Amino acid sequence: MIRLLATLGALLAASTPTPQPPGGVQVSLDQERISASIGQVLTLDTTVTNPGSAPTDRLIAHLNVASLDGVYVDLEDWSGDVTRVVEPIPAGGDASVEWEFQAVNTGNFDVYVVLLPGGSATAGRGPLVASPPVHVTVAPRQELNSGGALPVTIAVPVLLGLGVLATTRRRRRTA
Amino acid sequence: MNRWVVVARQEIRDLWLGGRGPTLVFAFSVLLSAMTYLSATNRGLNFLEQREAVNLTLQVAIAVGVLATMVVAADAISGERERHTLEALLLTPVPRRDIALGKLVSTLTLWAACVVVSMPYLWVLGRSTAVLGQAVVLIALVGTLVAVGLTGVALLVSALSDSNKTSLAVSLFVLLALFAPTQLPGMPKSWVGDLLVRVNPLASGMHYLSALMLNRHTWRQDLSYLLSPALTVLLTTTVFVIAAPRLIRLTRATS
Repeated sequence: MIRLLATLGALLAASTPTPQPPGGVQVSLDQERISASIGQVLTLDTTVTNPGSAPTDRLIAHLNVASLDGVYVDLEDWSGDVTRVVEPIPAGGDASVEWEFQAVNTGNFDVYVVLLPGGSATAGRGPLVASPPVHVTVAPRQELNSGGALPVTIAVPVLLGLGVLATTRRRRRTA
Repeated sequence: MNRWVVVARQEIRDLWLGGRGPTLVFAFSVLLSAMTYLSATNRGLNFLEQREAVNLTLQVAIAVGVLATMVVAADAISGERERHTLEALLLTPVPRRDIALGKLVSTLTLWAACVVVSMPYLWVLGRSTAVLGQAVVLIALVGTLVAVGLTGVALLVSALSDSNKTSLAVSLFVLLALFAPTQLPGMPKSWVGDLLVRVNPLASGMHYLSALMLNRHTWRQDLSYLLSPALTVLLTTTVFVIAAPRLIRLTRATS
């Protein structure tokens, strides 16, 4: 009897797909290269695909930025939202995650997404999965022309100030 | 000639030849000059990209332009009541709705002046980018939608206030309360924050501007955010159409 129950248990366990660590999952980004100027807000779309025959467990997607020029990267400055939860993906299914970040340093960077196991059954197991890097080139800020700004910032209030004086004088004359 | 046009003409004359309009626009230009010069020259201020500089100037222009317009609207009925000039206006054969419409239109000429004055600043900051045309369209359409709605609110407050001081204080408080959430980072990220932005006509207008200017969304993508300013316009207009005779009186309107 016990053997029968054990066999039944084993059969049931085999028929229920076990959540998988992210090892078999693929992650891709919608762009390969981005050219931006400093301060520009950029958007990336990530697609997480599960080509396996079992559903994935809950996953954590993490956005990373690595400098190729040795510039110190403070990830918090690039985005305040670098960790996202990817709910379990059924076999053959996919999920997409959109990232928005701001290019806050100049130079050459690789931006990539790493998937980590985030469910209770798979946490701490299996290899991590990384997307191909997106190469981001950030050009220095296009300097605003302060020489061009000065005449306008002086001329407009001066002209309007003259208008105020004219209306005041007119009011005094007619009073 | 429509009777509201007669009222509007008289009010416009008072506003612009009486000196209040030119003084407010002058103060507006001084503020925008300081902002524009700092954005264009001060490296320490931040690393503003040109789009961000234009967006910042656009948002300040709308906020301060609406403030100036609301100050004038808050004085429109309660001020006349206090100066004892409303009686003469009420004796004329002009329906109260036309008086309200005339006052709204004359107040909005101040907003129109603020839009015109903003143009050189937007041009200086955005002339070398494709964002300039977008900024001009946005201030003319979205800014005007927000300005009309909030001017209507201030006019309503003015009709319902005991004194001019109360009217000004309440209108400024309303503007401040609506403006404060626009300064909180990441408001629309939670559903509660998003709801608060959507019901706030000023914050939702600002959100729409930023989405187009900074995040390069299409004009349709965040169009639902303009529902709140549009509803504010509709609501204040409906209140004045229905209740103008009860609102514009020698004594404070009572509900």
